[in-house]
Amino acid sequence: MNIQEFLTIFISSVFIYNVILSRFLGLCPFVAISKNTKQALAMSAAVTVVITASCIVTWLIYRFLLLPFNLAYLRTLAFVLVIAALVQFIEMVIRKASPVLYRAFGIYLTLITTNCAVLGAAVLNIDMFFVDGKPVTGSFYYAVFQGVCMGLGYTLAMLLMSGIRERLELCNVPRALKDFPLAFIIASVLSLSFMGFSGFKF
Amino acid sequence: MINNFTVSGSPHIHKPESVSRIMWTVVISLIPAGIAGVIIFGLDALWVTLVAVAAAVLTELTFGILTKKKITILDGSAVITGILLAFNLPPQVPLWLPIVGAVFSIAIGKQVFGGLGQNIFNPALVGRVFLMASWPKYMTTFTPSFDAVTSATPLAALKEGKALEHISYLDLFLGKHGGCIGEVCILALLIGAVLLLIKGYISWHIPATYIFTTAIFTYIFGAAQLFHGDWLFHVLSGGLILGAFFMATDYVATPLTAKGQIIFGVGCGLLTAVIRIWGGYPEGVSYAILMMNAATPLIDRYTKNRIYGTK
Amino acid sequence: MKDLVKEFTKGIIKENPTFVLALGLCPTLAVSVSVINGIGMGAAATFVLLGSSVIISLVRNFIPGKIRIPCFIVIIATFVTITELCLKAYSPVLNRALGIYVPLIVVNCIVLGRAEAFACKNNLWRSFFDGLGMGVGFTLALILISAIREFLGSGQILGRTLIKGFEPVFVFGMPSGALLVIGLLLGFFNLLKNRRS
Repeated sequence: MNIQEFLTIFISSVFIYNVILSRFLGLCPFVAISKNTKQALAMSAAVTVVITASCIVTWLIYRFLLLPFNLAYLRTLAFVLVIAALVQFIEMVIRKASPVLYRAFGIYLTLITTNCAVLGAAVLNIDMFFVDGKPVTGSFYYAVFQGVCMGLGYTLAMLLMSGIRERLELCNVPRALKDFPLAFIIASVLSLSFMGFSGFKF
Repeated sequence: MINNFTVSGSPHIHKPESVSRIMWTVVISLIPAGIAGVIIFGLDALWVTLVAVAAAVLTELTFGILTKKKITILDGSAVITGILLAFNLPPQVPLWLPIVGAVFSIAIGKQVFGGLGQNIFNPALVGRVFLMASWPKYMTTFTPSFDAVTSATPLAALKEGKALEHISYLDLFLGKHGGCIGEVCILALLIGAVLLLIKGYISWHIPATYIFTTAIFTYIFGAAQLFHGDWLFHVLSGGLILGAFFMATDYVATPLTAKGQIIFGVGCGLLTAVIRIWGGYPEGVSYAILMMNAATPLIDRYTKNRIYGTK
Repeated sequence: MKDLVKEFTKGIIKENPTFVLALGLCPTLAVSVSVINGIGMGAAATFVLLGSSVIISLVRNFIPGKIRIPCFIVIIATFVTITELCLKAYSPVLNRALGIYVPLIVVNCIVLGRAEAFACKNNLWRSFFDGLGMGVGFTLALILISAIREFLGSGQILGRTLIKGFEPVFVFGMPSGALLVIGLLLGFFNLLKNRRS
């Protein structure tokens, strides 16, 4: 466990293996909500919070509940339910604690329940930081940090995309390419330019 | 005809500037670098450039006909895209490579957004990174053309940890080394850049901040020890000068205000240096400019001048 | 009978989950590097769709409306787990190629979408054919995309070289190539739609 590891996780999950542009997780909201910067920002904030929280909870459940009782095969089922419950819980807490915040990004929380980015991050953590059913050294910290970084990568892609699409509203785009198709083409060019970071080494 | 009778409020100042005039001036400013490329690498460089320009113009024409819009091939913007793409290619590539690249540049880099003045990314760079990802073999092979030119680019040699003693700063400045067609001769590029600066077609903000940031950053982190990096080498090698003056200054894909342009330049400089020092590729100019192109709408949003008296 | 045929065919063209509804794009983009992967993913998703549609339409009258979504998720997750374990046991190579996208079928919008929009309102046979049609439509779309990507990206289809001397365009084997292909295909289908109307 050292600083280099964390830097590598940061660069690889924000840029090289960006959740949206390279792993294709959470594409639906990426295409649907990225037309307006404010909404995009609220959605990304919600996703980042939920990914981080779910990474913590799913790691703990996998390590202390599923592994000791030989239930690893129930991973998918357990994670989906836990994430759904967690999202409900976060929603309730935010609604009680800060109605302003709830109005800003509360409605996006319900959308996140079945967001593949959240489940994807949890499953990835298990695949990456558990070897033969045992956590690697510093596994928990890596898992949480990777969750945060995936949220940041999500935010970055959402922000860039929403800025671009806001500008495209004023452009004379070919009719057949309006909205969805063009969003994918832009994402493709973004993904190409993020390839500049491939092979990153400290 | 009726347009000529429309009277608008004063003042009536006429300036002969137009989009096509600016575009053709940019084409002229790129000619010295092209000539230098042909002198250094031989006629191959000329063929690659001509083929790329022809393919770019033809694609533009095809799209104009298909979408039944005004045919825009005479405004020179497709010519510039073709030239810039060719300038970013090694001289000995097979001739189908610039063709594919130019078609991709114009189609995906420009026309899908609605054509001239609406592209988000610099079209030539979109074409280049596409070629780089698709055929890395051709894009990174620099066969020696005549005796004074070494095969690998200085930056690639640096990345592989080879000694660089035999290349002097003067060689780098004049372009006597391997590289892409239009990026090697700094002298020729500067002649063109001065023309554009004098004419006022580009402002100093982006090029200056871009080059300065790259220099500072490579000076600090470029060597094993802090503050020992060879910044002059990093400024003179690779596509930095070409990129900073001719590609990072694209009117459409860069911020509007001076403040935004400075942010843009600093961002490009940082990304270029980071990719050169720690990234897997020897050169990061095209990726850096593309990433900042993507961020341009956001930069514009937060740096736009507000009308006096409004929030 | 005619009714059932209609339920089956609508998923293939008129309501194709990928090209018309633009649902479940995550796995479509991620695994479509080669045709084999595409078929594998399509088959896995079809199995889950079919299984969950049938079960949900059978128990639809017992599930209280308020907690129906969690119930659907549990049923879907069960089928996903079955698929995961079978893949791991019988085809480890395919399992490795599909990676995390197998467990992610559970949050695939097509599956939950069909459960919510169709299976919980219709009887067994209609749900069965609806699920089958959607699955086949999804698989066909995957095969189309992965064929394009495999051919352009490696010059091969199903591991066989088609044209000698074709220089593969590596980018189509990469994420950005996937995004480009789906963008252009969606644009192409829009164009067809605009022409018709």
